[in-house]
Amino acid sequence: MADKQLAVTAAASAFQKDWFAQLRHRVFDQREPYALVQADVPFELFDLLDVPAVSNQWWAAVIAAKQQAPGLLDAMAADGLHDGLCRYCSLGYASMRYRGAASPPWGGLPPPRLLCARLTCDCIQRVFSLWAEACGAEFVAIDHAGACELHPEWWTMGRQRWRDLVEPHRLAFTVAALEALVERLEAVSGRRLDLDALRNRLDRVNHQEEIFDEVRGLIAGAPICPVRMNEQITNVMATQWVRGSDWALSHARAFRDEVKHRVDTGAAACPGERVRLMWVGAGLWHDTDFYTAFEASHGAVFVWSMYLAFGPDGYIRYGLDDPMAALASRTASFNEYLHNPPWAPDWIAHQARQHRIDAAVVLRPRSMKPSATGRLFIERALERIGVPVLPIEADVVDARAWDPAAARMSVRAFLDERVAA
Amino acid sequence: MSTAIATLTAAFAGAFSAIGTSAERDGAVVVTSWPSVPVEIIRACRLRLVVASGSTAPTPLADAELEPGLFPGRVRQVVDAALAGRLAHVACIVIPRTSDSDYKCFLYLREFVRTGRADAMARTELFDLPCSGDAHVRRYTIGRTGALLDLVGGASGHRASDDELREEVDVTNAARAAARRLVVFRRGVPRVTGTEAFPLLGAFWHVPPREYASLANQAAEDLASRLPLRGPRVLFAGAPVDGTALHAAVEARGAVVVDELTAWTSAASGDDIRCGDDPVAALADAYRESIGPRLPAAMMHARFECVLDHVDAVVVSLPDDDATFGWDYPALRDRLSARGLPHVVLRVDPHRVLTPADGARLDSLIEAADRRHRAQHG
Repeated sequence: MADKQLAVTAAASAFQKDWFAQLRHRVFDQREPYALVQADVPFELFDLLDVPAVSNQWWAAVIAAKQQAPGLLDAMAADGLHDGLCRYCSLGYASMRYRGAASPPWGGLPPPRLLCARLTCDCIQRVFSLWAEACGAEFVAIDHAGACELHPEWWTMGRQRWRDLVEPHRLAFTVAALEALVERLEAVSGRRLDLDALRNRLDRVNHQEEIFDEVRGLIAGAPICPVRMNEQITNVMATQWVRGSDWALSHARAFRDEVKHRVDTGAAACPGERVRLMWVGAGLWHDTDFYTAFEASHGAVFVWSMYLAFGPDGYIRYGLDDPMAALASRTASFNEYLHNPPWAPDWIAHQARQHRIDAAVVLRPRSMKPSATGRLFIERALERIGVPVLPIEADVVDARAWDPAAARMSVRAFLDERVAA
Repeated sequence: MSTAIATLTAAFAGAFSAIGTSAERDGAVVVTSWPSVPVEIIRACRLRLVVASGSTAPTPLADAELEPGLFPGRVRQVVDAALAGRLAHVACIVIPRTSDSDYKCFLYLREFVRTGRADAMARTELFDLPCSGDAHVRRYTIGRTGALLDLVGGASGHRASDDELREEVDVTNAARAAARRLVVFRRGVPRVTGTEAFPLLGAFWHVPPREYASLANQAAEDLASRLPLRGPRVLFAGAPVDGTALHAAVEARGAVVVDELTAWTSAASGDDIRCGDDPVAALADAYRESIGPRLPAAMMHARFECVLDHVDAVVVSLPDDDATFGWDYPALRDRLSARGLPHVVLRVDPHRVLTPADGARLDSLIEAADRRHRAQHG
């Protein structure tokens, strides 16, 4: 694994490991409830009601990074689950359903009191229902209202004009869904949600994402990339899972300060930077070294992924008179913006321009239906603005069909043939 | 084949392929990707519904635009027709949110127009169908059904009144009753093959209800005089089918397909819709239960359980684009095993010719089902 270049990265990793150990202590020793949730649910509500929430995607990434996924995926296949079903969303379920098929990282997930997911993709309802059944927990679904009015330049509207961005019927629907979630969380925790506290938390989230906006600007504007994409992701996501908390704000500032210092002193992720790359899609969690594999040979640095960029563009909501509506406006379309037309192609092309991207590597994840759709539109949008695209077929948590050497060879050939030329 | 049966069969199979051949006729048509758009609303607004289905017809334009392995054949057919300009003159395109693929189809069609990849295309609208059971979801679905009425009314120039909706519901209930008469001949000892019955039921969506009721009742009279079919009885589970190729493959081996879990037939022959004071709410409630992949697993399981007593084998269709039904498979397998019911999983597009290996597996299944059938029924 590539050395960490930022001190804050080690702090973020240590925080996550410690947070998880504390969670196990609270659940096993103090019999406290916790929730297993999809990454796109409003974590703020869980935190304010003192029900710790573990992100399903984060846990899947940890399993994959610890190379524990193949045993679980083999167990799923042996149970008759076909290979076209989404692995990313179900690896956590497999870790509880097929115990013994792998060594769970950090002692494994304790049994949750409830599970929560937005029904954005057809598999979610099934996976989370099975998961709830497997661990005797309650599943709280946040149903998802489809968008009818489609605003391509959503990122220019979300901060100030979020009531125009999300149609009134969808906003009302999502508010009702969040209120139903709050009701369940209150029943589990025995606490009541304080709307003033929610307003305050969202204000703090805004502040955190403004800091990330500064970081994004620093990276985009620096002559050479000051921080590797891997380290951007570690710092951003450790913060996003506990967004708006004291630690999150403090860490976001520390991250910004260190990046700024690196920009001011001319420190580079790759001192011989010649090519600025963009990664489009979820992270390749089982092979994160992939992202640094082209620095020495081609001076090619992955500068951009959605993880940092989506923070400021996707989360910030100004005008918090009705905090639940503001939160709902973020929740209503959340991950659609990242993958589907008309939202994703224009945004990603805009980001490519802003970050002076030379070439893009676009993930083609066949088994992850939501992020597998829309990619042709993204690829065309990038090519249209002169950014050559290399599509790469891979599963973000399933390394069984992944050939690291062949993948690296294809990127090098792409860099030689389409980028250097 | 009787005239009634021939008429209904042609109406099922030919409706979508005829789109694009006459601008005048298309102007009265609403095209959709799945039979979960309230047909009563379309007709009360004086339009006609045409539902796309998968087929063996090539889709070169769609293939260039849709990522492989993610979209069912019916969506590929809609997209191909749209890109070819065949949907230029229809009154509107309504994509129901029965699955993630349908929702993406809606987004893609809008994007094709926005980016100029398809300029000759009728307006595309989404009929949103959330599927969880909370009270706010029901309220929302009623609201969206009302919006659909406004939208279709706008496209046709005639927004149906509540009384007109009630009348349409009544005549459509009569069509449903006639469809239920047909279903009787698939129960117990069947008198009609699935290959023949599926189009008769599927035509419900394409044929005006009074005409459908008349034709289906005539067809039922014809079927009543048929001899019983003695082969083992097969149920289709998994991803819902929308054509008869798989029926034909199974029935060529001596079995009879007696049911399939798909809105094409089950919603056509389902319970009557009771309007009460609010016909829009009644339609919203009824159609929430016919939506396919987004249907809650518990509802799907309940329907499945009702059928198992009357079949000898199950074919589970899990094509390449399946993202949902595969999750049900381990529990389904265990339930079938507990009942001693043989089954086979097919991973192919049900409209395509079976591979030799799948054919052999189907042969083995039908042999096992036949043994079971003979042991139980002599």
